[in-house]
Amino acid sequence: MTLSDKIDSLMMKVEKPVRYVGGEFGSIMKKPEEVSVRYAFLFPDTYEVGMSHLGMKILYHTINGRDDAWCERVFSPWVDMEEKMRENDIPLFSLESRTPVRDFDILGITLQYEMSYSNILSALDLAGLPLRAADRRDGPFVVCGGPCAYNPEPLAPFVDFFVLGDGEVSTHQYIDVYKTWKASGRPREDFLRMIAGIQGVYVPSFYDVSYRADGTLRAVVPKAGTGAPPLVMKALVNDLTAADYPEQLIVPYGEVVHNRIMLEIFRGCTRGCRFCQAGMIYRPVRERSMERLLELAERLVNATGYDEISLMSLSSGDYSCLPDLAREMVKRFYEKRVSISLPSQRIDNFLTETLRETQKVRKTGLTLAPEAGTQRLRDVINKGVTEEDLMRSVRDAFEQGWSSVKLYFMLGLPTETDEDAMGIVDLAEKVRAVYFSIPKSQRAPGFRVTVSASVFVPKPFTPFQWCGQAREADVIRRQQMIRQGISRLKGVDFKYHAPDLSFLEAAFALGDRRMGDVLERACRLGCRFDGWSDQFRYDLWLKAFEQAGVDPAFYATREKGLDERLPWDHLDAGVSKEFLLREWEKARRGELTHDCRKGCVGCGVKRYEGACR
Amino acid sequence: MRAIFEFGKKGRLRYISHLDLQRFMMRALRRTDLPVAYSQGFNPHPQMSFASALAMGWSSDVELMDVRLTESVDPQHALDQMSAALPPEMPVHRCRMVDDRHPALMAQLAMADYRIAVSGGDAGRIIDAVPAYLAEETVMAVRKTKSGEKEVNIRPLTVALSAEDDALCARLMLTPEDTLKPDLLLGVLAERGGAVDYEGAIFRTALLGRGEQGEIRSLMEL
Repeated sequence: MTLSDKIDSLMMKVEKPVRYVGGEFGSIMKKPEEVSVRYAFLFPDTYEVGMSHLGMKILYHTINGRDDAWCERVFSPWVDMEEKMRENDIPLFSLESRTPVRDFDILGITLQYEMSYSNILSALDLAGLPLRAADRRDGPFVVCGGPCAYNPEPLAPFVDFFVLGDGEVSTHQYIDVYKTWKASGRPREDFLRMIAGIQGVYVPSFYDVSYRADGTLRAVVPKAGTGAPPLVMKALVNDLTAADYPEQLIVPYGEVVHNRIMLEIFRGCTRGCRFCQAGMIYRPVRERSMERLLELAERLVNATGYDEISLMSLSSGDYSCLPDLAREMVKRFYEKRVSISLPSQRIDNFLTETLRETQKVRKTGLTLAPEAGTQRLRDVINKGVTEEDLMRSVRDAFEQGWSSVKLYFMLGLPTETDEDAMGIVDLAEKVRAVYFSIPKSQRAPGFRVTVSASVFVPKPFTPFQWCGQAREADVIRRQQMIRQGISRLKGVDFKYHAPDLSFLEAAFALGDRRMGDVLERACRLGCRFDGWSDQFRYDLWLKAFEQAGVDPAFYATREKGLDERLPWDHLDAGVSKEFLLREWEKARRGELTHDCRKGCVGCGVKRYEGACR
Repeated sequence: MRAIFEFGKKGRLRYISHLDLQRFMMRALRRTDLPVAYSQGFNPHPQMSFASALAMGWSSDVELMDVRLTESVDPQHALDQMSAALPPEMPVHRCRMVDDRHPALMAQLAMADYRIAVSGGDAGRIIDAVPAYLAEETVMAVRKTKSGEKEVNIRPLTVALSAEDDALCARLMLTPEDTLKPDLLLGVLAERGGAVDYEGAIFRTALLGRGEQGEIRSLMEL
């Protein structure tokens, strides 16, 4: 039986076989003998989640644009499939050609979320690869990128190299070097030496790490003769209009989380919300031109048959010609019944006008993110939004026919008090009052407000990188206060989660190389799909920490000294440490920093050639 | 006007569910320049239907999709457009234009032909069970339906059945009232023949209706 037959024989025995079928419209097939580089792109979660990820679509497109390389997709098999694959000796395989992952040249893995790390290790294991990079004598080089690559240390033992920053150019740079290296027949380590100088490339095995007696980091220094830089600068694409962007997308058979055209209108964010890692690491703001976006939209609608275009970015309302773009899109696609949606809606934009434009075709849900319950705390996090902004937005929305609104908050933000938590209840109550102040004849029936509060996780390269995560007892007490407060508000729901997952997320986000042992043990103990509440095994994780002799609180809840060496201090995400420190001091004073479109705030990204000009 | 497309669903695409296929075809139609008629309402979608749902895991070369158009187009053009909009494992074989008064495919459907390739150690027992099955007048079997289980006589629903070395060829009733699914027939033959170690690969080879004189004809040509 061939591998493909063996895979087929499992299809009727697993949940959602469509996850493993491949062969979708728009997927790329090439002849293996006609390419010199086989690239497997692993999204370490299910097919439905991974197929909704824009970064994968961009890299899939740009790599397959080369005649000499073939990029194929790999997803984490769900637990039922993994079990059957192990029983039947089926290694982790690619969707396009069903080739074992171990036979590829390069295995690229995207790091979107810390709690997918256990899936990465289990994927390496299922692929038949040794987990630790040092133990791999052949097989693909393992490279990781994505937002979590800015603190790569917990994964350092398992990964050959990381790429920080934008992938559109750096991916081609290391593929080119790979071809040269492969043709040269030189030893495996030489490839890593050859790429160590590429901007954005970080080879963790080329650095010596030392610790102080108190457990904090002493130093991370490059080994002599490796060519590794003392400070790794991120890769940066300055011109997004000229950058590669997919003009064809894979159209999945089954339903996936975001089953629509994703059009990235700009990268980066100028707002400077202090809790937001994405807002820091994707700087500077780079817009795609309106002409290019309209051209892409036209081609993608024709190529995919999708009936929805989502205008993606960290803060789509900030696109400089948004009203023009929205108006033109609605006009061009009205006939084809294509709707335009704006995710990540901020509440202080000229919301009304945009809403009017987008609802011409189809109404989408309204989500607002005040993040914190009081003005004091919103000032601390530099969320430059006032209660008046919020009330105006919901009033507009209710008057335009919306009746349900989602409000997102975070609990455990630095300096938070019980009063800040109760501010969330207060806001929900005011939103409710706005709805009922509108005459019955002028509002849509079915009032519903969903208040969601996640637990704040301090992230590297943010002004809160020195903060300890809020203690579990405080988080739980505030959750209960809010729950009780909201229970008396009819039509308002409160959603929250146990803080244990966020605690682990913080330990990995802020952890160093010693977290690698924990991860390996957790994987051996059977941890998988930690982001899925039905799979998450906190007990196994605590066991893994105990076995490895590592205290998660040391990383997660301990406040770090401002002079302490942080595990990611040898990496550069664009924003300077001086800027982050300045922002942290301002946060503690409750001072705002203005949007840098209104004038440079000196974040440090101008140190990069051609950036922010 | 309506366009009727005959297409295949083969290879790994046999694991696509009927619901997923419907959604996929809606998007495929949008990739064409065909003047597809849309439903009215809040969430407009192309007006389309299938002659019969193909169960997950079965292959076919004769599936029929009926699409309402706002105007007539050249069938060859429609065929080319659909072919370009579908992946290789979903080939489009034929296209035919009919007017709006043409009966619904589902109403015309009477029976279907299947080829069931049997493999495994006990495959021979299934093949050998065919003559005795054909000699019966009544063979009761439990049919699973949405409303529960029901015992029915499947013998009269077996219009024709023959055996080759490693495959069964069956013509089975396929109407709302009387339906015999090939996997149920296979299970009954296996039980009667005492087969345990076997696998069956089901391939639909024809969708059939009745002509004016009651003769059996391909639904595509009816």
